[in-house]
Amino acid sequence: MTNVLWLQGGACSGNTMSFLNAEEPTVCDLISDFGINVLWHPSLGLELGNNLQTLLWDCILGKVPLDILVFEGSVVNAPNGTGEWNRFADRPMKDWLIDLAQAASFIVAVGDCATWGGIPAMSPNPSESQGLQFLKRQEGGFLGKDFRAKSGLPVINIPGCPAHPDWITQILVAIATGRIGDIALDELNRPQTFFNTFTQTGCTRNVHFAYKATTAEFGQRKGCLFYDLGCRGPMTHSSCNRILWNRVSSKTRAGMPCLGCTEPEFPFFDLKPGTVFKTQTVMGVPKELPPGVNKKDYALLTMVAKDAAPPWAEEDFFTV
Amino acid sequence: MGKQTLDISPVGRVEGDLDVRVEIADGYVVNAWTHAELFRGFEIILRGKDPQAGLIVTPRICGICGGSHLTSASWALDTAWGTEVPRNAILARNLGQIVETIQSIPRYFYGLFAIDLTNKNYRSSRFYDEAVRRFSAFTGKSYELGVTISAKPVEIYALLGGQWPHSSYMVPGGVMCAPTLTDITRAWAILEYFRTNWLEPVWLGCSLERYEEIQTYDDFMNWLDEDIKHRESDLGFYWRMGLDIGLDKYGAGVGRYVTWGYLAHEDRYQKPTIEGRNAAMIMKSGVYDSFTDTHTLMDQSFARENLTHSWYDEGTTDIHPSDRTTKPIANNTKDFDNAYSWASAVLHKDFGRLEAGPLARQLVAGGNHGESWQHHDGFILDVFKKMGGANIHVRQLARLHEIVKLYRQAEHCLREFKLNDPWYIKPTEKDGKGWGATEAARGALCHWVDIEGGKIKNYQVIAPGTWNIGPRDGQDKRGPIEEALVGTPIEDPTDPVEVGHVARSFDSCLVCTVHAHDAKTGEELARFRTA
Ligand code: SF4
Ligand code: SF4
Repeated sequence: MTNVLWLQGGACSGNTMSFLNAEEPTVCDLISDFGINVLWHPSLGLELGNNLQTLLWDCILGKVPLDILVFEGSVVNAPNGTGEWNRFADRPMKDWLIDLAQAASFIVAVGDCATWGGIPAMSPNPSESQGLQFLKRQEGGFLGKDFRAKSGLPVINIPGCPAHPDWITQILVAIATGRIGDIALDELNRPQTFFNTFTQTGCTRNVHFAYKATTAEFGQRKGCLFYDLGCRGPMTHSSCNRILWNRVSSKTRAGMPCLGCTEPEFPFFDLKPGTVFKTQTVMGVPKELPPGVNKKDYALLTMVAKDAAPPWAEEDFFTV
Repeated sequence: MGKQTLDISPVGRVEGDLDVRVEIADGYVVNAWTHAELFRGFEIILRGKDPQAGLIVTPRICGICGGSHLTSASWALDTAWGTEVPRNAILARNLGQIVETIQSIPRYFYGLFAIDLTNKNYRSSRFYDEAVRRFSAFTGKSYELGVTISAKPVEIYALLGGQWPHSSYMVPGGVMCAPTLTDITRAWAILEYFRTNWLEPVWLGCSLERYEEIQTYDDFMNWLDEDIKHRESDLGFYWRMGLDIGLDKYGAGVGRYVTWGYLAHEDRYQKPTIEGRNAAMIMKSGVYDSFTDTHTLMDQSFARENLTHSWYDEGTTDIHPSDRTTKPIANNTKDFDNAYSWASAVLHKDFGRLEAGPLARQLVAGGNHGESWQHHDGFILDVFKKMGGANIHVRQLARLHEIVKLYRQAEHCLREFKLNDPWYIKPTEKDGKGWGATEAARGALCHWVDIEGGKIKNYQVIAPGTWNIGPRDGQDKRGPIEEALVGTPIEDPTDPVEVGHVARSFDSCLVCTVHAHDAKTGEELARFRTA
């Protein structure tokens, strides 16, 4: 039996909704087949009011073993560090978190808000939100840089807005089945198994990327979304085109530019005027290039690619 | 007997954690306060940002009805920019919105509402054992199937937008996608799967066609009697058990109802304007006043907000929502005579407080106002009148009744797509004011955007939860859920499941959590609950 307590801070429930879309295993399978016991969850839990408060104290005092604390949503510190703008079960959520974090064997942050602060922490961050162990790319966050859960691991970060259901279920199962030791974390404490590759890996528009053929406008059946529409697929660590969304698709497959939501900088450029769904360029060259590619090589590559491009690269590709 | 005050924290959440205070006398709630306990300040975040920032930010206001926020955000920009939206795009937006709501019905019913029917309160009901078999959390037969299959409809959303939740595929001027034969065929197959594996056999116990013959309360009762399959379907079973345990006896509310109308007509709203919206919706907008039995049209200019009892420093007079400045106060202590919630009190300038949600939509659907070609359905209005007004049970029925109509609308979208016609017409960005609205699964939702100097000057949202969860207004009148709580019988103050029933019957964005179970259901769960 692995006890899971799932709480939400400054959250929209998007990660919960995403989690409920899980299919292999489903949320019910987690419980019946993998020995996961949901102590409580804001949408699915059984207790309310005092009964829940008692359960939370039992976890803190060790009367009920807390194997995994899952946190969704940002840690709200407003106003002035008191956390009173997000009270939960009659206390600032952040106070519950401090106590529960000491009691938990593993802590899993799901979604951008819990990992980096997410949309609530966007400037001017009115709710003084933080992620559990990061604020944007800056290490530390609410629990501090050196925090380790009882298991010795830092907060396991599963970013994404929302996190993909399979990313969540696989990590929960890995912990429940004693496999978590096999999992390597990257420098942002993300499981590498999901975040070592790029969104672009597996994107059906890859061939257009290679030939520099662009989707100039939305609603087109050709081209790559990188050159005009601001796709962050080449720069974003995610498995969205490998572990498909809702089993059937991904943003870029459907024609929507990747927003880079698994990276701490999401939403990029703080959504300043002129930055939404538009590639930022300097003299026609994208300002940001795939990691490790330098500007000179890129210019050369562009020339070659354009020269080499077959005619079909500019024609409708995904036709009816 | 004296009065007893019960503070229930938490009751539920989304759009802010929800807490409830009730005063109980002689076993009944005599007064109630609802308070939202989370402030994230999305309106503040959006100020000064790119005009299209709302397309990315507002779906994240609520991950449960993010597609509805996206719809409102896009139509708001469409009206501000004066775009042209191709019919394919209107259908693609509608389809996304429809499947989000279809998803929400089983997920909400089994995941959030029906588990309460296994509460020990109802042990003496003859339906109890069966309710436990069907609706127990995680392990109930219908629970497991219903919650699992709720993931299916949003696969269609993903075919259009790449993922659900939180895609931003709707944009001013249309949509980002241009689905192909593969996507459309899959979408049909997913709909069919949903119908043949749950909707017909488990939910209705009959074909959609048979269910669609129901036009009145009597028709519904005849349908129940007609076949054991109807009686034993989850809908039939729920209806009978609800009556048995008295869900038709409490939870009335304010007696006036609002909907913005939704699903833009693919041929009538290609040049969207704020003024032209009402006549262009398939599901009409309106206000139903049950005290005078009259229907009128709803307009964005009729909306008001009052902040007397909310934690904002913006005065105490009623103002139009687009005039708000969103100034949170630092000290949010609970003061039940003054401010006690992050939600605001939303009003209609003439009718005052209104209930939003599926019941509101269906009561308005029964009106003869609006355009002759708009959707009309008098079933729920008839049930409402025969039952003598609102209660938990009719509110549920309204919600559940919608699924068949929405299913048909989804088919319509798929049939009407012309795959080689445009999906997007690039608009010219400009300054201006826009308004976009729709109906989220749980009620009226709208966005106002004001763009000046190429950036957002003001962005304001009225979510369904705000109509329903709102605190008292400037005249100290209770909000819809507060009002609905008054008169609620409380059998066991240590486990006030009835409060949960009322709150959740609004299906507000309260992903509520009022639950308890007795030794019997506890045993069912014991396998999983001991460490
Ligand atoms: S659309 Fe985006 S993810 Fe796909 S190939 Fe182009 S840049 Fe890469
Ligand atoms: S495609 Fe990009 S924006 Fe979309 S979920 Fe994946 S990482 Fe996030």
